[in-house]
Amino acid sequence: MYRSWLIVFGTTLLLWSLVGQLNHYLAPCGAFLSVGGLLVTFAALRLDLRRGLTATILIALAVDAVEPVPQFDRHLIYGPNLLLFTAAHVLAFHLRTRFPRDETLFGLVTALLANLGIFLGLSFIYIELGAHPVAGTAWLRLFADLGWSQLFILLVAPWYLALQKRALELGRVDLAAQHPRFF
Amino acid sequence: MSFKRFDQAKPFVTLGGIVLAWLLLPVAVKSFLRTTFFELQAPVGVTASYVRDLQEYWTERAHSKNELIEAARELQHVYSSYEFQAQQTGALQAEISRLEQLLRLPPNPNYKFEPARVCRRDMSAWWQQLTIRKGKNYSLPVGAPVVYSGGVVGRVREVRAYEADVDLVSSPRMRLAADFDDDTRPVSYQGGDNPPLRPARGIVEFVPPDIITHPSNPRRLVTSGLGEFPRGLTIGYVTRLEVSADGLFQNGEVSLDPRLSELTEVTVLVPLRPE
Repeated sequence: MYRSWLIVFGTTLLLWSLVGQLNHYLAPCGAFLSVGGLLVTFAALRLDLRRGLTATILIALAVDAVEPVPQFDRHLIYGPNLLLFTAAHVLAFHLRTRFPRDETLFGLVTALLANLGIFLGLSFIYIELGAHPVAGTAWLRLFADLGWSQLFILLVAPWYLALQKRALELGRVDLAAQHPRFF
Repeated sequence: MSFKRFDQAKPFVTLGGIVLAWLLLPVAVKSFLRTTFFELQAPVGVTASYVRDLQEYWTERAHSKNELIEAARELQHVYSSYEFQAQQTGALQAEISRLEQLLRLPPNPNYKFEPARVCRRDMSAWWQQLTIRKGKNYSLPVGAPVVYSGGVVGRVREVRAYEADVDLVSSPRMRLAADFDDDTRPVSYQGGDNPPLRPARGIVEFVPPDIITHPSNPRRLVTSGLGEFPRGLTIGYVTRLEVSADGLFQNGEVSLDPRLSELTEVTVLVPLRPE
């Protein structure tokens, strides 16, 4: 019962750790990868609502744990990624029945759009919270980081979605048996 | 029909419930969850850091004995000059202590130097931080200044059991009291100008109008001694100044050392209590 969301959470944690190491090596180059959309895609498209949201909430908490907590007027605002990840997950879940959600191409498009939405959402949140003294000067850096991130997702998403599917097969999780209503 | 409508609305109702639950959750629980999930991931970063150290060690071992002997000889020259400077510094500090007692002045803050390896760099447009491999286990305090051979690195923002987060001087959160190398009038330094694929920059504000600088002859910006940083540490070099909107002062651009984004080891200045 626990295996599906636990396996998906484990694979997303693996990707998040790898991206963290990649950002460590990209720091001298002035680039930063943001892959929130890819972290929620598989759970939103392939798992049922409860298990998918569980995996998404856990990985969102892991992402929030590493990033600095935004501050507004001496109040710490916890969990911006949690709110955006769950919103992206719910939106993808709601729309998935209209599209071939088992297709890799659709998963790739979902990851790209979700990442764009999460990136813009976080940017709006940080601007509203005054996280940058002159937010207007950061647009070029934000634009560049978004470009690198989308390119990274374009290259990695097919492999990563296949990895997650394979991980579930190795964990003997049959998605069709778990929620036959959607298959 | 109503079941189908509820079925479609169920994800959004669930989202609303999660948002509400998160907003109502006590801050202590959120903080605990944050710490828990950080410690869950911490071994990955620390392990990768130790693997990099091991990689560096084996790279050094690949050097021939003659190369190592030559490097040791060069370091010996540097070490000798630093030893002489340390003796001079000791004599000057003794003189300062004698004058402080004579004039009954409050003592300058003293620090314990705590070197720490960097295990993770995290540099986006919204934050610029390092995670170092020392934390409460070495009694690092929040707000302690962090330095390196080139000057100011930043300030300790958060301390955990075995690691600590350092806000870099290029971070938008960083604001320092500063002055120019040869001018004691205070100015303000603010981090945050981080262009893509280029070294980070900072912003200097409230510069007196009679100060002139040029890209070919930049002026060194140093800490003023106000706040937690000792006086005279290099922040960066001011390459360009322009009159501010109110016309009273100048604002400008501060070039930061490119090595800030490549640091592998830093030193935390832990304030010592005055005797």
